[in-house]
Amino acid sequence: MTTSSKAPSSHPDFTKNADSRGSAKISRETISAISVAVLCLVLLFGARFINPALGSWSQVETVLILGFFLVVLSFGQGLVILTGGLDLSLPATITLGGILATSWAGTGDAAQWFILPAVLAVCGAVGLLSAIGVIWLRVPPFIMTMAMSIIVASALLGYTRGTPRGYAPDVAVALMKSDVLGLPTPIVALVIFVLTGWLFQSRSVFGRYIYAVGTNVDAARNAGVPVIATQTIPYVISAICGGFVGIALVGYSSGATLRMGDDYLLPSIAAVVIGGSSILGGRGTFLGTVGGALLLTVLGTIISALGLEFGLRTIVEGSIILIALLLLREELFQKLRSFGK
Amino acid sequence: MTTSKLKTTAAGLALSVAMAGGAHADEPFKVYLSLSYSGNAWQSEAANIVKALANTPPYDQMVELEEVISGTDPQAQISAYESMIDAGADAIISFPISSTALNRTIKRGCDEGVLFFMYDATVTESCAYNVSYLSSGFGENTAQALVNALEGEGKIFLSRGVPGNSVDQRHTDGAMHIFDQYPEIEIVSEYYSYWDDRTTQQETAKALTAHPDVDGIWAQAGEYGAIQALLDAGDRLVPMTGENSAGFRLALADPEMQEKGLRGVSAGSPPAQSGYAFKLAMEILTGERELEPMNIEYPLPWVPANAVKVCDGDSYEDGCNVFPPEKVPSSFVSEVLNPELLPEVNVESALDGTPVEGATIQPLPAEVAEAGNEPGINCNRCEAPEDLYKLTKVEPTVQP
Amino acid sequence: MSTANTQAPINPLGQWLSRYATGAVLIVIIYAALYTVYAVQQPRALTSYSIAALMNNTAPLALAAVGQAIIVISRGFDLSVAGVISICNVTLAVYPLEGPGGAATSVAICLAIGAVVGLVNGYLVAILKIQSIAATLATMIICQGIALVILKAPGGYVAEWITYEMTDRVWQVIPVSGLVVGAVVLIWLALKRSIWGISLYAIGADETSAALSGINTLRVRFLAHVLAGCAYGLAGFMLSAQTATGNPTSGTPLLMLSFAAVALGGTSLAGGRGGLFATVMGAATLTLLQKVLFSSGISSFYTGVFQGVVLILAVVFCGLLARLGDDR
Repeated sequence: MTTSSKAPSSHPDFTKNADSRGSAKISRETISAISVAVLCLVLLFGARFINPALGSWSQVETVLILGFFLVVLSFGQGLVILTGGLDLSLPATITLGGILATSWAGTGDAAQWFILPAVLAVCGAVGLLSAIGVIWLRVPPFIMTMAMSIIVASALLGYTRGTPRGYAPDVAVALMKSDVLGLPTPIVALVIFVLTGWLFQSRSVFGRYIYAVGTNVDAARNAGVPVIATQTIPYVISAICGGFVGIALVGYSSGATLRMGDDYLLPSIAAVVIGGSSILGGRGTFLGTVGGALLLTVLGTIISALGLEFGLRTIVEGSIILIALLLLREELFQKLRSFGK
Repeated sequence: MTTSKLKTTAAGLALSVAMAGGAHADEPFKVYLSLSYSGNAWQSEAANIVKALANTPPYDQMVELEEVISGTDPQAQISAYESMIDAGADAIISFPISSTALNRTIKRGCDEGVLFFMYDATVTESCAYNVSYLSSGFGENTAQALVNALEGEGKIFLSRGVPGNSVDQRHTDGAMHIFDQYPEIEIVSEYYSYWDDRTTQQETAKALTAHPDVDGIWAQAGEYGAIQALLDAGDRLVPMTGENSAGFRLALADPEMQEKGLRGVSAGSPPAQSGYAFKLAMEILTGERELEPMNIEYPLPWVPANAVKVCDGDSYEDGCNVFPPEKVPSSFVSEVLNPELLPEVNVESALDGTPVEGATIQPLPAEVAEAGNEPGINCNRCEAPEDLYKLTKVEPTVQP
Repeated sequence: MSTANTQAPINPLGQWLSRYATGAVLIVIIYAALYTVYAVQQPRALTSYSIAALMNNTAPLALAAVGQAIIVISRGFDLSVAGVISICNVTLAVYPLEGPGGAATSVAICLAIGAVVGLVNGYLVAILKIQSIAATLATMIICQGIALVILKAPGGYVAEWITYEMTDRVWQVIPVSGLVVGAVVLIWLALKRSIWGISLYAIGADETSAALSGINTLRVRFLAHVLAGCAYGLAGFMLSAQTATGNPTSGTPLLMLSFAAVALGGTSLAGGRGGLFATVMGAATLTLLQKVLFSSGISSFYTGVFQGVVLILAVVFCGLLARLGDDR
């Protein structure tokens, strides 16, 4: 803790020796983020050829609103992955957020503003439990978060006796269904979230700690990084992000179900990886992840406009993800750079 | 031939068990409730109704009910059935996860004298009873109602259920049988909504970006999400069909929504089937009934906009058929009560599984409706009737 | 996890073998304890029918987990397991081939499907250097699409010979499915001692030093994916034998379970450690757990809580004992 003041200056020391080309590293990650963004735009406007109604502002709006959920989730997922972990409990924390928000809004009339922090606190506690399991009990993150997911889902089943009740709290509805300065609130929230997330991950002291721990735990410890806190907090943040998305989803579709989080697990991991992060930790940018999340969402809207049967549509979806991965390969960037030189 | 033989042995066994049960009143029937996943309103309401009935006198003294949730994995349900048979089950009331994968285990259970009652979804094993509305023509009737509302032409969405699910396929086949007759009906988007409000809303929102000018929506469960997506995209609603959510029914009857263009009919899968199946099973176990047909049809609920009536009390009295939002969430499946078949239970039973104070089990009507053959759905290697997709609830008002 | 990796290459074979042995012994003890509980609660548990039924239920997961373990040992993740099983299952249900000859052809088809998907994965991961979790996510989605194209909704019939013979018992005692899994484990024990097997562990422990010591990492990874694919194919075959019908999404439930089985078997998800016998026992424990929870009469709402807690406890317990062993 005492060393935190000197930590920012010692940032270069944290990175692996093999990767001492600091400038090359930054440019690689920037290139990766830019290419995902370009791919997004190409898909978005190329879609006009499939259907003239696509590529319009209203589609962009839909993509941004639907993408909001995935961006928030993959921020948390991305932080956990950066430390070398993985969070499989997102479906459960999303559902936890949604169920608690609706049932608490259903029980009382006043104190609606308390719901948001209270729900997020409970979700954060779940994340803390996962972190305890991973760090102190040394359970592999994969197993710990999977087990947490099973436990929380089952506890929710018992808590609701199978039937979620209540209704969406006003806060949640206001978040998803109102306008700010002529723009839908979720889009404004998305922009704010992306900026904050980027500042946190790339420009804050804590963000650097996370990269350091993800790259090499022992080196980070030697350099005075508070390793345990750095490993714990991403799980807590990820769980809070899950809970927040749960509340947002409740506001979006005015109701919670017990499987509302199920469809987000693999996309949250895919968004992080497509965005150029390493699944083994230590490498990746939040902007890349945002690009990955939006790319997947754009893909979803375009594919649903294709007049193909579901099986073929699934094949197309998988193929495009594969193509994106191929295009974003590291070797390709290295070649591009060597052309530039 | 083999079917009736099997059935009689099953009934015979059941009768002897019943008499044994009567002799030792302290040994209740062991009945298992085997679910797919609990987690949506439909599944839990169906389970709650059975739990409420099992706690209603005189069944509360006669039945020991145990519930098992198997998720969406047929293998888990096979394992659960095996365990139930080994534990000496008298009857298994179940929502089967697969129409064919469980057959062998069911057959083994039947041979050991276990009574199998499937509700809603069905199995093709001939020794199990299927209690289902599947043969009642949801797909074709709702499709025709939508075609009528659109006067035979327009762009529509199909909001389907779960990909690779036989119930979804049956509904869609029936609907396509109708839509194919009208060349002016154009299906511009078809997506899977997993019978879930939230997924329906997101998928409909995606489809609307490409086709903002849609004229109608044919939806399975989750329909309330489609209304919300339409309202999000613009202040315009279209004719649509959907299942039995309270949100959808209330919207159908809401003058403000009608003003925006909402018309349609609420039909679809009734959770009350589980209660009907349970009571039939109990009547067989107690020797009050010998059940001839193995496939029993539950009537298709059919509530057009002008028939929606909000209830004041806790049950469907005086022809009312939907509960107000103060009482139930919008995803509540309205067809969980049935004044004729299940007069013992009310809305609280559906939500909590609690029996109604003072209620006692009423006998079912003696008549049951036999379901037609649906190959691969309720029978194995069988012929479908010629009039598989005949309309029962609605007449075509526009000719193709 | 990084400490384990840096230690592993010091004394290669001996250390790996000893760790493999401890992992296997532990999970066998857990399994035996659970089975005792089960047998006490449910006397029928010891009949050969019940044992065979349990084995039939276990076989698909065990085989899927075997494939997964191979990839995990090489420090990867393979999500395509769900896709391969689904494709094999629908293929067998749409094109049933009767008789023993038909069954042999069916096995060959399943192995081929798995091998082809494995080849694609191997190419993407080993040669194009795409992260395994991302590459196999894409192939999984594509495979699920293919399964849905082959068969739109559940249906079809798997050949009767397969469904009866593969779930039967030899001399009324030994379940055929158990023999299949046993054969796979035996093949693995042979492979493990081969150069390929040793290289696989070396790559998982530290790819850079493995490459420096002259191991052809490309070939080893490539082969790992192909073999894993074949194991998934076999899992799809055994699943079809048990369910006797086709379902285009039949592989999906096995995805997460396969990872759980691998971890329960003590294979480190950080690569370089673990074995297949322990993985098979991990899969068997997961299947048995369902039975034990049922016979214990735990309220169905909360079975998940118990499953999760048991999973964590088992992994913590194995980890603790393994560490005690290391200290000695």
